Amino acid sequence: MIEKTFLIIIQAVFLVILAPLISGIIHKLKNNLRMRKGASVFQPYYNFVKLIAKDEVISRNTSWIFRATPVIVLGSVFCVCFLLPVLHKSFFLGPLGDMLAVIFVFSLGRFFLALAALDAAGSFGGMGSSREVFIASFAEPATLVSIFVLGLNCGSLSPSAVASLEGWRFSSLLCGSALGMVALAETARIPVDNQETHLELTMVHEAMVLEYSGRSLALLELAAHIKQIIFFTILSWVFFPCPVNAVWGWAWFIIKLCIISVFVAVTEISLAKMRLFRVLDYLGFAFLIAILSAVFALIGM
Amino acid sequence: MLTIIFLSGFLLSLFLMVVAKRITALVKTFALQSLFLSLYALYVAVLQRHAELLIISGLIFILKVIIIPRVILRIKRRINVEEDLGLTLNTQVSLIVALFLMYFSYLFISRIISFSSGEAMQAVAFTVSFTAVFIGLFLMIFRQKALSQVVGLLVMENGTFLAALAITGGMPFLVEIAIFFDVFIFVLIIEILVYRINRLFTHIDTTKLTTLKG
Repeated sequence: MIEKTFLIIIQAVFLVILAPLISGIIHKLKNNLRMRKGASVFQPYYNFVKLIAKDEVISRNTSWIFRATPVIVLGSVFCVCFLLPVLHKSFFLGPLGDMLAVIFVFSLGRFFLALAALDAAGSFGGMGSSREVFIASFAEPATLVSIFVLGLNCGSLSPSAVASLEGWRFSSLLCGSALGMVALAETARIPVDNQETHLELTMVHEAMVLEYSGRSLALLELAAHIKQIIFFTILSWVFFPCPVNAVWGWAWFIIKLCIISVFVAVTEISLAKMRLFRVLDYLGFAFLIAILSAVFALIGM
Repeated sequence: MLTIIFLSGFLLSLFLMVVAKRITALVKTFALQSLFLSLYALYVAVLQRHAELLIISGLIFILKVIIIPRVILRIKRRINVEEDLGLTLNTQVSLIVALFLMYFSYLFISRIISFSSGEAMQAVAFTVSFTAVFIGLFLMIFRQKALSQVVGLLVMENGTFLAALAITGGMPFLVEIAIFFDVFIFVLIIEILVYRINRLFTHIDTTKLTTLKG
């Protein structure tokens, strides 16, 4: 029991340490595909170290929400790390929550981030949080339906059941593609948001964290990286189903994540960012594909 | 196993065509769909050691993935029409209609083939092919530009080909070749027709073709 707890903690730390690397790889790939040199894949780590050592500036008009938010957001995603079996299918705290808990713990973080962006009373923050909530209100139904379909496919909503999907099925592939579209929206990637720009017309996530600096910003960025790796983990279960075993589990896991990163990088450079109200079409499409996969799951495919 | 990938790709590209708002997007998605179809034909050919199907798969690739999309995009460039497809139903409603079309074809197919037996994959392929026929018809009816009528018909043709492939492992070789020839000539004739329509009426909006002009 103690040994298992220890292994679960190691796995969570492994996820947290790996998370910035995946962002770095995607960034590097995007730059290389654009025939640029790009920063090193370890740049997110350097950023983290740089920011964590810095002092921060907090507006006098903010309340406790502004100061508590980075901790709450990081705490929520870190808590999800304990709910997912990554290296072995029994490495997670089962009684704590199932796949639905994962989605709603993310919502908690998002709720506080949206509040904190309003708290500083900057116009950008308000704009960012209103956009974020607009997008989330369409992304969440699609995510929920796809998670339900995954549950239908393996008979249980427990993460270990979802992680040990056997082979591809028609419904799991369709809901996986819906989940992939949502994952691009949730991780602030191009058809919905752009991580690389601070142009006021387009930014969503960046607008919300604009008021933050120093240590808080480092925590928020780390939280974004971890959220991304968690979405990619769920995608990797759906698209590359193979038994997870502890010995080489980590190597397979990294390979799967790298393949997904390549897909994400290619999608990102080959698409243009959508107008905000086109996002409705995009996420509506994801929702419909999720419903479609639910129909197939009920047929038993 | 691979069948599932090709079929779900085919189905996804169908729904992408329903939401497409621009001619280029529609035509490119059609090319993607034909790519999935030709890969599926290749897979069946390798699986059943069927040499004729191999040739047909190659023909689909050359004709429907490369030549026909280029021809359609060439007409678009030549008559210099704007990108907008002219949606009579907006994308959300179109998607819901497409979902119902899919459901109807499922109801229809479930009366013919059982989804729970060992032939479940065939049943799904048959459902997808019927959906393709319905959605092709949908694209022909609810989009205004004449070019989407062309793509709609090609999608219907893809659907019938998929049905033949799923049920019997392809139609007889001669029939298949004849259909390909037909489709190719059809696209060439349509190209000239659309060009003439544009010359005569200065647009290719089919809703306005009912008014007489003398």
